[in-house]
Parts: sequence; structure tokens; C-alpha cells
Amino acid sequence: MTGYSLPGGLLQVALPSAAQPAVIIVGALYFAVIIAISVWAARRTRTASDFFVAGKGIGLIALTIASVSVSVSGFAFIGGPGFIYAVGLGAMYIVLPAAVTNVMGAWVLAKRMRLLGEARNLITIPDAIGARYRSPAAQGLAAVAMLVGIVGYMATNALAMGVVINSIFGVGLAWGIWIGMGVTLAYSASGGILAGIYNDVFQGTLMAVASVLVFLFVLGYGGGLGGISRTILAHDPTFLGPWGHLTPLAALSFFFVFSMGSLGQPQAVHKYYMLRDPLQLKWYPLLKTLGLLLVLLLYFGVGVGVKAFVLNGRLQPLASPDQATPSLLLNVTPIILAALVFSGIAAATMSAANSFINIGAAIVTHDLPIAFGRPVKNELRWGRSVTILIAIAAAITAQRSGTMVAFLGIFGWGLFASTLVPALAVGLNWQGATRAGAIASIATGLVVTLALESAAYHKVFTFPAGVTASAVAMVASFLVFFLVSWLTRQSAASELDPDVQLVMEL
Amino acid sequence: MSELATRPGTAARGDTTRSAALAALISGVLAIAIGYAAAFWREGTPAWAPWLLALGIPISLGAIMILGAARGQRGIGPLKLPFLFVVAVLAIAFCAALALPSTEGPLSKLWLGLPARAALVIYGIGLLPIVVLPVAYALTFETQTLSAEDLERVRAIGRENRARSTALANAKSDPQLSE
Repeated sequence: MTGYSLPGGLLQVALPSAAQPAVIIVGALYFAVIIAISVWAARRTRTASDFFVAGKGIGLIALTIASVSVSVSGFAFIGGPGFIYAVGLGAMYIVLPAAVTNVMGAWVLAKRMRLLGEARNLITIPDAIGARYRSPAAQGLAAVAMLVGIVGYMATNALAMGVVINSIFGVGLAWGIWIGMGVTLAYSASGGILAGIYNDVFQGTLMAVASVLVFLFVLGYGGGLGGISRTILAHDPTFLGPWGHLTPLAALSFFFVFSMGSLGQPQAVHKYYMLRDPLQLKWYPLLKTLGLLLVLLLYFGVGVGVKAFVLNGRLQPLASPDQATPSLLLNVTPIILAALVFSGIAAATMSAANSFINIGAAIVTHDLPIAFGRPVKNELRWGRSVTILIAIAAAITAQRSGTMVAFLGIFGWGLFASTLVPALAVGLNWQGATRAGAIASIATGLVVTLALESAAYHKVFTFPAGVTASAVAMVASFLVFFLVSWLTRQSAASELDPDVQLVMEL
Repeated sequence: MSELATRPGTAARGDTTRSAALAALISGVLAIAIGYAAAFWREGTPAWAPWLLALGIPISLGAIMILGAARGQRGIGPLKLPFLFVVAVLAIAFCAALALPSTEGPLSKLWLGLPARAALVIYGIGLLPIVVLPVAYALTFETQTLSAEDLERVRAIGRENRARSTALANAKSDPQLSE
């Protein structure tokens, strides 16, 4: 995995300049639509509930598309296809879990979180943990863990926005970061998650359209999937083996981290609070899975397509795997398609950044004050202020040190997974889980992830092939959760409020 | 609220579906943990380590889905078959990818455009569960996941909670009221 970032953000790569008239016009139109949606949403945001959970009033289709949009970052468009180009089908184990993760999330989390929202008026993920274990300490610790992960995600997404905007408009990386964060901040601070959701709908639609068109183009250009496979099999048959050039352990490890770990990703889980009518959850997993399938077609199509086109000489060999998508778009596809995809990449990074800004602001203005017993009075005003601070901090961090940003981007996904999955996903479905088990599990995930990622990043320690810090931390967090809950099992029943118990039994 | 909700812990007893799912989840995670631990051996990763993940992952995913889908004493009802199918598909596809010999080459027979083992992974793991699980979720939603009656029960609790919070806040702001 050296040299690749996981789906926390776009890679820290220099995209080639795409600043041609068609690309600039489509890019400018994209930003105009974003601004128009934001102005509309800002006029409808009046309370903290509007700001953080869209007043729990989003319809099924809008929520589904928005959720698809925040579930994929720029990685799906740039880093992912590059990873396939480099290691073959083994890279698919990052996205294959999408076949089960959405419905798994629906069964394990969606109903219970949405009902807890109804019973307790909850608006954040740490809220749910606090209510489940009747514990401000567990709520606060979960909030701290999420904040650490969000710092990483925000910095990588800020840098990614700068890279993409510089590529589209040729304004330089520094200006690209400030423009991207400025626009995202404008709609995050004014319209909160309501602006975010409806921008996500536009951005998700754009991503899906761009992905499908590129996939169809690649198939046509390569003589169908069979033609592409024949070309690759003639030169590099291992590429199309079940693990590609990865070891089986490494590929399976990806599947584990990105399937089970999906239950702890706040940008997706937080959405469960927002659905207007909880009964509409019925079609949510099916629609979201189909939407994700469309968006991820580009990941697979470009990855294998560019490999074949380079092998048969229709494309120049790439300077680095990360150039797979840009190289295809700027050398082979019609320029209007390239323009759509570049705007789609900007959309992916901005969508993810908006979601994390909002979740981070909720943690600072809602969860941490509750954990310290000092809830703030005007959460909407504080939410807007903290949103601005988070965005500026992320932009400055992204400007200052590419190396540090690369490090921060590595552990976001794994940190959310290891700290939240056992306490939240298992805890909401197992009445034997205890407060001590949850706190120990969250702390284990936080400490193990940070320690192992730091050690690996500074080359103090090298993992065996196929083992990642995220996977080890998540397994450790699970085992600690079960063990401590078992050791403290006498307290389990007394820590459960009757209304929470009812929600867990339904 | 006490009329609407039952006492903590009572429903947990005798809930065999959840107990079995929890045992399976712990077993799956333990298998994965052992697989990872084996990778740290000085002699290199033993050949059996990926097999533990190939079995542990489907078991743990299936178990946590069952844990989430189980409803009190009713268990998972008609969802048994979809869950069994998906766990089996994942386990068979992973194990087949590990066990089948590497025969990919220029003359390989293609299945929907991919060599056999790749097709098994992409179509088996990546597409087959989509055909089954979300559809099963939708078809069993009212009976197994959430009915209008369930929702109304929880909303009634929400109204009680809000009324209590409001009364508490009023009492705090006006001490005479609380006396």
C-alpha cells in the first residue's frame, strides 16, 4: 500500500493541467450550481436541528443520493483506479464490500439510531453512544476519537480540493485549496447539513453520470470487457487473478476493514438521523447500493481499461499509477467527458469535506460540552462559528505540510472503524454490552490506531505483508469490548434505560 | 414510560438467536485475529492464515447482520435463508479463490468477460449479495424491521421524554414551581 491513500481522500498527487475552455466552463457551471443551492438552503436553516441533521426532514431519494455522494471520496476517481492499475484485481477488495455494507448498516444501525433520534431527540453519533450506555464519558471519548479522525480527513480533503481545482482552473495549489475550502465553507456555515445534503444530491448525480459514461467509453474503446481481459491476460495474467498482485491475506484484510469498518464511518452513519419518515428506510439499502454500484463503475473500468491500453500501446506508460484516470481523460476520452469527470472529482472532495466539517462542528458544540456537563445554549450560532474554524484550520494544515497531511489521511477510516464499530454497532444490538466495555473499546481503538500508524509511518515498525494497523486496531477493539463487557456483565442491565431497551428490542 | 418499555435485561434471556449470533461474531473475530497474529511469525505467513480470514469474515459479517435483524423472541424469521445464502456465497467464493489452481493465461475461458477466478470474485462477491440482501430487507421490512405501530410506540416515548425535559427545565428556571 505504500504510496496510496485509502478512501480518506484523494491522493496527494499533482494532477496534470486540464485547464481547457470546455473543462473551465463545466467547472464554472458546477460551482455556480453549488452556490445557488447554498443560497436556497441558507434561507431554510433556522435551528441547530436544521443545521446538524437537516431538521430530520430529508426525503428518501435525496438522502440516498447524498449518502452515496459522501461514501466515496476522490479516491474512487483517482487513487482507486490507480491502485487497480498497480496491483490488479486485489484492489477491488476495497469496493467489493459495498455489495453488503449498506444493507448491513440498515439492519445493524439505521433503525435503532433513527428510533433513538425519535425517542431522545439525538442528533449525533456520540449522542447515541451516550444514550446507549447512559454515559457522558463514553459520549465524550467517542467524540474525541471522531474529532481526531476528522482532522485527518479534513486536511486530506482540503489538499485534494486544491489539487483538483488547480488542475481545472490552473490557479495554483495554494489558491486551489482556499477556493475549494472557501466555497465548501460558505455553504457549510450558511446552510449547514441542509445545504450539504442538496449539494450532495447534485454532486452525487454528477459523479454517477460521469462514472457510467466513462465506464461505457472504456468498454467501447477496449472492445468490451472480454477484449480488455484478453489484452491483459496476454501480458500479465496475475493481474486478473483473484488477488491480483496482492497476497490473499492483504486482499482479504481490505475486505474485512472496508466491510465491518463501514459501520463506524460517521459520514454515512450520521445520515440515518435525517430521514423524514423512518418507514422509508425500507428501500434505502437497495437504492444506495445501486447508486454506489454506478459511481464505482469508473473505479473498476478505468483501472483495468488503462492497464490494457498501456499494455497494447494505445496509451503511453504512466509516470505513476495515480495518473491512470487523468491520462485516460486527457488523452483518449472526449474533452466534455473529461470536464464532467474533473467536476465530479471536485464534487467528491467537497461533498466529503462538507460532511466532515458538519460532524466536527457538532462534536465541538454539542457532544464535548455535554460530556463536560456544560451544554451550550445557542448551538446554531456556535455551530456556524466552529464550522468556519474547522475549515480554516484544515486549509492551513493542507498548505503547510504535504507529508503531515499524507500521514493524517492514512488513519481516518481505520480510526473510525476501530473506535466506533464495537461500541456503537454491537452495543446497540447486544444488551450485555457494558459502559466499561464501550469505553475500553473506544480507548483501545484510539490508542492502538495512533500508536501503530505512527510507528509504521516513522518506519519504527514494519507490518508483515497483508496486515494493516486499521485491521489490527479493529480486531483489538472488538476483543477488548467483548472481554471487558463480560468481566463487568453484572452492571449491564442497570446501565440500560427502558426507552433505549425498547428501541434495542424492536 | 414504564408502560411502554419493559425492564432492562428481561428480553435478553432466552434470546437464542442473538446469543448464537454473538457467539458466531466472537468466533469470527477470533479467527481473523489468529490469522493476523500468524502473519507475524518469523518463518513467514503460514498457508492457513488466509483461510481463517476467508471463513472468519463471512461468519462475522453474517453474525452482526443477524444480531441487528433479530427481534426479541421472534429471531430472524424468514431472513434465515438470505443470510445463509450470502454467508455461503462469500465463504465459497473466498475459499474457491484460495483453493482453485492459477490457470489465468491468454487462452483462458472468459465468463462475462473475466477469467473464472476473477469472475467468481467480481460477480460472486460483488454482485450476487446485491440481488438478495437489499431485496430481502425491503420485502421483510414491516414484519422484521419496523412497522408503523413500532414507530408510534417510540414516538409516544419521545413525547413523554420531551414533556419531562420541559417540566424539568421549567422547574430549574422557576424554583418556586419545583417546590
